[in-house]
Formats: sequence, structure tokens, C-alpha cells
Amino acid sequence: MHFAYPPRKSSNPPPFRPRTSALPTIRGKRLKTIVLIGLAFLTLLWLFQRGGRSRHAPPAYHKPSGNPPVVIVTVFNEGKYGKGYLDMVKENRLKYAEKHGYGTFFVKSSDYDLRGAPVSWATLPAVRHAMTEFPDASYIWYLDQNAFIMNPQLKIEEHVMKPSRLEELMIKDHPVVPPDSIIKTFSHLKGHDVDFVLTQDKDGLSSSSFVVKNGEWAKFFLETWFDPIYRTYNFQKAEQHALEHIVQWHPTILAKLALVPQRILNSYSKEKGGQEYKEGDLAVRLYACGEAGEDTCETESQRFAQWKAAYQDS
Amino acid sequence: MSLSRSPSPVPGGGWASPGLTNNLSPSGRSSPTKAYAGSNGTPVMWERQKNMGGAAYQSFSTQNQGFFSRHMRRISSSLPRFKADNTHGAEREKIGQGRWNMPRLGRIRGITGRMSRRTKMLLAFALLFLLGYIIFYSTPLVYYYRRTSWLGGGQKFVIILAANVGGGVMEWKGAREWAIERDSIRNKKKYVAKWGYDLEIVDMSTKKRYAHEWRESWEKVDFIRSTLRKYPKAEWVWWLDLNTFIMEPSKSLQDHIFDHIEDVTYRDINEYNPLNISHPPADPYLDELSKSPIGDGNPNSIHLMLSQDCSGFNLGSFFMRRGTWTDHLLDVWWDPVAYEQKHMEWEHKEQDALEQLYTAQPWIRKSTAFLPQRMINSFPTGACSEKGTDPRIHYDQKDRDFLVNMAGCEWGRDCWGEMYNFRELSYHLNRSLWERFKEDLLCWIWFKLTGKKVKF
Repeated sequence: MHFAYPPRKSSNPPPFRPRTSALPTIRGKRLKTIVLIGLAFLTLLWLFQRGGRSRHAPPAYHKPSGNPPVVIVTVFNEGKYGKGYLDMVKENRLKYAEKHGYGTFFVKSSDYDLRGAPVSWATLPAVRHAMTEFPDASYIWYLDQNAFIMNPQLKIEEHVMKPSRLEELMIKDHPVVPPDSIIKTFSHLKGHDVDFVLTQDKDGLSSSSFVVKNGEWAKFFLETWFDPIYRTYNFQKAEQHALEHIVQWHPTILAKLALVPQRILNSYSKEKGGQEYKEGDLAVRLYACGEAGEDTCETESQRFAQWKAAYQDS
Repeated sequence: MSLSRSPSPVPGGGWASPGLTNNLSPSGRSSPTKAYAGSNGTPVMWERQKNMGGAAYQSFSTQNQGFFSRHMRRISSSLPRFKADNTHGAEREKIGQGRWNMPRLGRIRGITGRMSRRTKMLLAFALLFLLGYIIFYSTPLVYYYRRTSWLGGGQKFVIILAANVGGGVMEWKGAREWAIERDSIRNKKKYVAKWGYDLEIVDMSTKKRYAHEWRESWEKVDFIRSTLRKYPKAEWVWWLDLNTFIMEPSKSLQDHIFDHIEDVTYRDINEYNPLNISHPPADPYLDELSKSPIGDGNPNSIHLMLSQDCSGFNLGSFFMRRGTWTDHLLDVWWDPVAYEQKHMEWEHKEQDALEQLYTAQPWIRKSTAFLPQRMINSFPTGACSEKGTDPRIHYDQKDRDFLVNMAGCEWGRDCWGEMYNFRELSYHLNRSLWERFKEDLLCWIWFKLTGKKVKF
């Protein structure tokens, strides 16, 4: 019997093979269980966590869709002026609104209970009312009764309210109440942060023509402005001085306000009060006209009758 | 792998590991090595001889000497191994003794494999218990869990505690005032530490900034604002006056209120209306939402939660939520024109101002909600007591009210006495099981037996 010798073992031990992975025992099935356990753990975490995002979401208020884009608000003080004059004022706004698809909102100052405050306070509930009636309007433009829209080509949302346009127009770092209020308009305001646009005349802020962006801030602002405590305070110029007051004392209001050059929104008929109207301006306000005497508003308005021609041209 | 795949020791049999038996070797092994020593290895013999002095050669015949020597192998091989034997002749020298050279998992498997099922279960339970203990008692893990905004959500709440009211220039604090302050602060600190909230103690002492007639008592507004700035993750701030005591610290704010705001609050003030504020606002120019008695009815719109006592709003304990609405309110809350006209009537300053704002401005109502007073602001019987005790207002220990506000105790009542009583009552109501066992049972038995009252 002859058996071959088994092959000699090499005297060099076989080299160590490197590990196939860092954790050699984790593979295949084991990996699956580990993944499952991990998933179970995550599920537990998810179950035990409190206060999901939905619970503490910011409140969802109605966002205006922009239909109509602008509503023009005017408060009529009917006892004081002749009907013909007021009809002309209405017609002026209606034609402009019709041209651009805007809404109009005309009310009488006697519609609102002001609890003994001066009639001019009716501006504020009127604007607030317009926001109620036109919840989808983007902007509310309040225009004084003794003012006329002179240039129907200009659209509010482009001429004034477009953020890029606003950034050009805004008067920054300027005393809110001229000449020497220490409260100045913000110098780093962005166009899309502006919710309230108005102008200054020689006396201070002018509330005869202003634009408000419809929304929660506007409601807060108008209701604050209309607070009975300001109405009973006997501000010399009623709501106008109340506005100067809240703008200077409450930064959340100042932070949304932009001052624009007067002739953008609110040219005056006389140089005495502020910047005088020039051809091509959007609107003119008959400054300090009275119901009787030499320059009644009706006679004054004759000077600006050319607005009718502007509609005929276009 | 191949390195560590050394032959495992077989229980009861096996092989000696030569050269391992040096007593001085730093193997870290605590089992006796005598048996090995006897079985082989001259160096050990040599050591032993040295140690034992004269009785040298006897050791050769000591294989069966004593119980341990005889059963050494059996015993030691059944013990869990912390160190595998170096049996590879070639590797023994170069790899230091006392190193792990089996894979950890394999070793554990080896150990568990040798255990019985029962032992395994026992061990698992013990481990679980230990883990539970570590997690719940000796690490701040629970704290961090409760604090994390996406788990427990404790970071979203900050308690502002008004300390040192009227202190500073106007009056010195006496021993009682210090004691009240200490107890009140400790109470809130404990609560905050338990649930992972933040505590901001603000100093309400009279300062020059606020000493001006017009600005007095409006620190509250400034402090809320600065607290929101200081804790950017905070969503709700909870204002607490100093004379308050959290009676049920085991209740978290989330459990108590915030997980079900819509159920515990009421938006329509007509439910309890001591001031007779006409609600909802009826002005014709307002929109439907502003005229709605409950706002939009969605708890997301709530930004201010307060309670009413017998005479109207009470700002001893209230919540405000970060948001635009809150910014607006904090901004208009104080107004010089309002103050100039009203400061003679407004006894409670910012409280009256808020009532005025709530009455006059519809936007305030849209985000204000009320909590039943006893949820966050129970009064002791001394406050609001003109009409006797009112179940809507006064603390009732049977219902375990959450917080007591000793409102107005500085006007002729004993603040410290009330604080002390409520503190003791809170401890009493929140005793642990063991304390209850001791006090209710053991002391009672002792009292029955001996007629003496004792405390363990």
C-alpha cells in the first residue's frame, strides 16, 4: 500500500485576509433587523413628540386676491356742499375707476357714529368699511372730497404702490412731522414691507390722500387710529394730529409707513399749503377751500375742470 | 479574522497555556493560577519555589491538593472569560498579554451561550431596570427630551417672574419679603427644571426710567419684549407675579393647557363678563370676522390668554404668544395720550389700559382668549371676597388647582402667611407614595398604639 504523502503544509502561514467590513457580523438578515429596530425607534420618537407643526402655525387670515386691485374711498359731507358739485366729484372718481377696473366706495360722514368727535374722523371708519366691503381689494385709496383725479393714465398699483417704484419714491430718514421731529422715517425700509403710503404738506402729515394695503396690519392700524381715546383728546387737527401722534409713538406703525413726494398723490391747488399742482400729476386737492366766501370749493374746482377732457382723449 | 479564530477552550478539558502562569504578569486576571502553575511551565515552578522557600518538590504531587485545585478547571472554565487565552504559540510572544483578541460580539455570544435561559431573562430585566434608572433618574436625558422643541417642546415656554416689585428706592425688603421672594422663585425654578422651560426673573424695582408719571408700571410690556428677544425659541411667555405659587408642579403646561387650547379657553367674553363689555363689536363698518364673538375659532389665532377675576381682567398670570399681533399689542399698549387722559381713573394701569384697548379696538379681540380663572390664577379666600367664596374664583384643594395668586395680599393681608400655607399644602398634596405610606399609615398606627403624634 502506497499512499502519497499529503501535500506539505507551507511553513509560511497564510496571510491574514482583511476583514470584509468593519462589522463582520452585521450582514444580511441582521442588517434588516437593525433597520427595523431603528425604524421602530423613530416611530416611537414621532409618537412621543408633542406639538406638531400644525398646532403652532401662524394664524391664517384671508389674503386679498386683488379683485378689484384698488378701491377709491371718498367721504361726502353732504350738508356743506351743493349737489351738483358733489356729483361732479363722484363722476371724477367713477370714470377713473371704470377706466382701470377699480372699485369705488362713497359714504356720507353722517353714516358713522363718531360720538361727538369732529366730522373728519369719519375717514377712518369709511376706509375700514371699504376693506369690509371689498375684502379682495389689494389697495384702498382714500381721496378727500375736495380733490380731483387729474391724470387718469396713472394707475395706483404702478404709479405708487409697486415695491420697486416705492423704493425710488420713499423719502427716507426724514422727520415725520416737519421740521424737527426726532422721529424719522425708516431708512432701510423695503418696498414690499410698506403698507401705508401718504404725503407731507407744509404743516405735517397730510391725510387727504393716502393708500393702505388691505390686510391684517391695515385693520390694526385703522382701529388704533380710530381709538375713542384719541377722538376725545381734542387734537387740534383731529384725525390728522392723531395720526402724527401714533406714528411717532408706535414703531410698528412707523415701520410700515412710507412718505412719498407730495405731488405723487396729493398736489395742492395753492402753493400756500404745500407743493402746487403741475400738469401730469395724479390728483389735485383744493387746498383750504370753504363752503362760502370768495374761493368756495365749487369756484375753485373750475380751475381744474380739464380733468373731463382727459377722459375724452383716451 | 483568522488571527482571532483561536481554538476556544473546551469546558472541563482544554489545554494549558504555557508561560501564562506568571503571578506577576499584568494580565489583570484575578482567578487563582495555581493549577496551571502546577501542570507545566518551569518558570512558575521556579517562582513558587522561591515563594515557598524550602518545600520545593512537593508541589509536583499537588495535582489534587484541596478543593479549588481539583475543581479549578471546571469552575474557571464556567466563568465568563474576560480574556482569551493566548494559545497560538507564534503569537503569544509578540502580542501583549492582557489584550482582547477575540471579537467582542463573539465573546458576548460565547458568554450568553453558556447561560441558561432564566439567567438570561433575569439579566435582561436587570439591564432594563438599570437603563430605566439611568434614563429617568441619573441623567438629564429626560430634561433634554422635555426641552427639545420637536419632542417635549419645553423650549417654547418661558416664565417671566416679576420679582422685587416696588423695591429699590421706595422701600426696603424685610425678612418676610425676602422669604416670599425666595419661596416663589424656588417654586418656579423647580417647575422650570422639571419640564425644561426657561425662567426669566425680572427686577420690577422702581427705576428712574419708569418713575415718570406717565410711564409707571409699564415695565411689564418692556420685559415681555426683551424676553422674547432673549429667548428666540420661545413661543409663549407666561407672566407671573411674585405672589404666586404653582401648586401642581407635576402638571406640565402642555398637558394643562396647550395640548387642548381650544377646549380650555373661551373666546366669547359673554361667558363670564364682570366688566359688562359689549361683545361682539357691532359697528357696521366691521367685517364678519371682527364681528364674530369667537374670532375665527381657530386656536392658532390666539396670542393672548388671560383670566378674569371678580373685577375684570387680571394680569397676575397670563400668556402671550410670539407673533405680529403681539408686537402690535405690546406697541400700542402704552400710549401717552391715553395715559394723560386716564391715569387718574386707571388704578391698575396696564390692566385698565388693556381693558380699554379690548373694548375699543376689535382687532384685539380676534386674538384674545380667556381661561377660566381657576386654571391659571386661583385666588385665596382673602381676595375678591366681597361676595363670599365663588367657585369660579377661589382655590379649592379638592380640585387640585394649578396655581394660586395671592393677589392684593400686600394690601392688609399676610402675604408670607398665605405663601407659607399654600407651600405646605402643595407639598402635602404632592407627597410621594413612600411619604404617604409613612405619614398616613405608620404614623397613624404609632398614634393608635402610643397615643403620641410622631413624624418619621
